[in-house]
Amino acid sequence: MKKHFYSHIVETSSLTLSLGDMELSQEERIHLVSLVESQLHHTVLDAVLSELSEEDKKIFLKHIALSEHDKVWELLHSKVKNIEEKIQKAAEELKKELHNDIKKAHEKGKTTL
Amino acid sequence: MSAQNKKSSYEHLQEKWVARHKELQEKIRIKHKESLEWVAKNLAPKQLAVGSLGGLLLLASPGVSLPLPHQLIATNQEASSAINKNAFVVSDLSHELPNEVRPLTNEEEQKVLQVLSRDFDFKLAAELDGKRLNRSYGFIGQEQHLARFPGDSLSSHFDSEEEAQKYSLEGMAPGLGAWGYFAPSKEQFTKKDSLREKYYIAVQTFLAPGFLDHVKDYTDFFKYRKMLVVNPNNGNAIVAVIGDAGPGESTGKHLGGSPEVMRYLERVDGSLKGPVLYFFIDDPSDTILLGPVYLDK
Repeated sequence: MKKHFYSHIVETSSLTLSLGDMELSQEERIHLVSLVESQLHHTVLDAVLSELSEEDKKIFLKHIALSEHDKVWELLHSKVKNIEEKIQKAAEELKKELHNDIKKAHEKGKTTL
Repeated sequence: MSAQNKKSSYEHLQEKWVARHKELQEKIRIKHKESLEWVAKNLAPKQLAVGSLGGLLLLASPGVSLPLPHQLIATNQEASSAINKNAFVVSDLSHELPNEVRPLTNEEEQKVLQVLSRDFDFKLAAELDGKRLNRSYGFIGQEQHLARFPGDSLSSHFDSEEEAQKYSLEGMAPGLGAWGYFAPSKEQFTKKDSLREKYYIAVQTFLAPGFLDHVKDYTDFFKYRKMLVVNPNNGNAIVAVIGDAGPGESTGKHLGGSPEVMRYLERVDGSLKGPVLYFFIDDPSDTILLGPVYLDK
């Protein structure tokens, strides 16, 4: 899995483990894991971009595109108060929804027997 | 669970997540359009292709819809061919391990242990009976076969011709392992002894904290102690025993693996050497079998 600038503060192993418990084919599993990663990525980017001015957004996106994680954090720390907490909050909200989705999928699966 | 049930659960999830994924894309496209367009215009396409924004910036182009993650993955033969439960181990560990190979902090060690204990369902520990090794994450090097009993040689060492062809190239170590022969004679040599030699690792027992103050106590503890060894880059894991002491500090390596261990972990020596995680398995009743651990079985 790709390391993102927020990988050290956003934990996803509980989701991958929940999916690991489901009886899925290899392709199905990787598809769902990739959807988790992508949804989290978009959610975190939106949360960060929403805190920045138009000029800072450009600088941030440039650092991200070049995988310059140190510069990303330098910028974020100088421009946004408590940015780590904001990223974690956005990620946690999404993770909660994803866990609920997995739970519902299990229940729905049982009713189709 | 029936096939129908399995398909239904998957379809339910993927339908919901694809829909949410598209909503998120649309939200970002509308809210941050100006900056996305600026980056798309001002950065070289090559830079965008490999970064975290490669696909996202397609959103800046009107009328272009972003490929879904599985469509991107389907083009990656390596990813699609290696998809199994190991992928989850790799994914879980990637969030906990540092970028460089160094001793883990206590906090990192605990997080890694949590992941491995859940994934492999073993009782694992970095410290057992108050004893620990100098590290639990390090570079593994190639060891040779060890003589299992007096007179054991390459011609008597393998159970089959196939094994001999596969593993004889590494040769026999000139000396004995740290604990001497695995059995006092060929007649007394057992299947258990055979597996211990086949799946052995050498660890730096002499660098363990407290070793020099309690040599006998520590030596007894380390002798044939079971450990789980995991390649964090492919999720391959093997149950091995400590069968030797080494390698020396000057080698730049932190442990060694028998030819069978190295082959299964897909690790090699030399400039392409790579790291593994290694933790004690708490197995007082000796019920856990030595050898590869297959998560899909």
